[in-house]
Amino acid sequence: MPRPYLPEAFRDLEPWLAWSLATERERSAKRQSSTMEELKAFYDVMLARMEAILPYLEQFPPDNIPPQTERLFYLTLSLAEIAPAAELYDQPGVVDGFDVSRFRPGSE
Amino acid sequence: MATVETTTPTAYGGKWHGHYPELGTGPLPLEVFTSVEQFALEREHIFRKVWLNVCRIEQLSKPGDYFVKDIGVCNTSVIVVRGKDGQIRAFHNICSHRGNKVVWDQHGNGSGFICKFHGWMYGLDGTLKFVPDEKRFFDLKKDCLGLTPVHVDVWEGFVFINIDPNPQETLQEYLGELATELAGYPFAESSATAFSWRAEVKANWKIVKDSFQEVYHVGCLHKRSLPDAFVSSDNPYTHMLDMKLFPRHGRASLFGNAAHQPSPVQALSYKHGSILVRSGFSENTLPVGVNPTRSTDWSFELHVIFPTFFVVVSEGTYFTHQFWPLAVDRTIWESTTYFPTATNLAQRFSQEYSRIIFRDIFLEDARTVEETQSVLSSGAKKEFLLQDYELLVRHSHNVVLNMIRGSDGKTIGRAV
Repeated sequence: MPRPYLPEAFRDLEPWLAWSLATERERSAKRQSSTMEELKAFYDVMLARMEAILPYLEQFPPDNIPPQTERLFYLTLSLAEIAPAAELYDQPGVVDGFDVSRFRPGSE
Repeated sequence: MATVETTTPTAYGGKWHGHYPELGTGPLPLEVFTSVEQFALEREHIFRKVWLNVCRIEQLSKPGDYFVKDIGVCNTSVIVVRGKDGQIRAFHNICSHRGNKVVWDQHGNGSGFICKFHGWMYGLDGTLKFVPDEKRFFDLKKDCLGLTPVHVDVWEGFVFINIDPNPQETLQEYLGELATELAGYPFAESSATAFSWRAEVKANWKIVKDSFQEVYHVGCLHKRSLPDAFVSSDNPYTHMLDMKLFPRHGRASLFGNAAHQPSPVQALSYKHGSILVRSGFSENTLPVGVNPTRSTDWSFELHVIFPTFFVVVSEGTYFTHQFWPLAVDRTIWESTTYFPTATNLAQRFSQEYSRIIFRDIFLEDARTVEETQSVLSSGAKKEFLLQDYELLVRHSHNVVLNMIRGSDGKTIGRAV
């Protein structure tokens, strides 16, 4: 992976690169295997930066994304993945939910 | 806010069932969810007779594109393919030689199909092209040994097949007024991006289906995931804005709370296009079958195409459910969310948030249908009770009953 890993303005997020995951399957598995403290820490850091990240991402059409931008974009997809845990359920998985690993994404 | 019950009839104490007195208001026998005999009858009289959605036309965009759908309830697998001539065709996925399943992968592109067993080759049009060591066969009539065709037709980009060798109706006739009411919805533009999930759930197909035919459960089962999007102080039980029954299909107009307060990430998502509950809508662009009451408190229009295909449309986005019975207590559930092409990555983030919220809501539903099925055979209860806003559930059970009894199911019409 060539340095820098993230676009210059967002290099403060590099400690969170483990969340830069390309597929729903990986993001979901990481959500389910994290503690609530870990999810909340990632949530807080990302939420504080989203007001800057989204206008940045708005400049990029979905095709031919530079690798640094793509990693940042995947971080936002992980935020989308864990948002229900942090905002609605207060636990990693859906409360009284079906096992998400049985819910197989069709396009990945 | 607008009045929720705009066309409430006076019969049955002002309830929706008053529109359809022929349906009655009695309980539903529980054994239809547990009886193996019932399941066999449904296979024979319903699933082998009706039009079933198998995919979207976008999945067959180029000549040679093919898609395979295993249809357990019909004991078959079907290949749907776009030919060199652009025509969509469908075939039973079984070799004319010794019955091997010809195509094992789920989709792809090719110039024909080669059976893995002995190498018999079929064209995209299903004709038998080549038989290895052909001379050692006896009176082989290759012209009559193509793949067995299946009836296929397309409505608004949705590809349907019918296993019946002689379908009693065309797809257009089968969809009837529901299709007319939806004409003009921009399915093509809204279908550019599709995300799907697939799960096998341990429940009867009607248990799964029925859980999506009513929203009475939303304020309870989804109280964490949807605290205020579909309920309000004026409408705490998510009463529907409108309901309409067609001979076999059904439609329901779902309430949305325009005053809903999004969570922080939800609010970010809303800024970039994908919105769970809209405040206001583009009235002139929607067909009559979408938000028919033109309510400002509208969220989704639920279209239930009998027996197992749901098209749930909003503005600019829609999702589908398709249920595939496997056994009396096992069902494949496929759910797909559709979005227009994202023009930038912020919009893609917005779409991702929307679909993940849907997924987590569906996980609440999926757990519930399995827990329900797990106790149905206890013998403790013999009947289910249905309230007024569970009208679509009552209707579809009535259609099942009528089709099994041998009528065509066309007994229901909306009382004027």
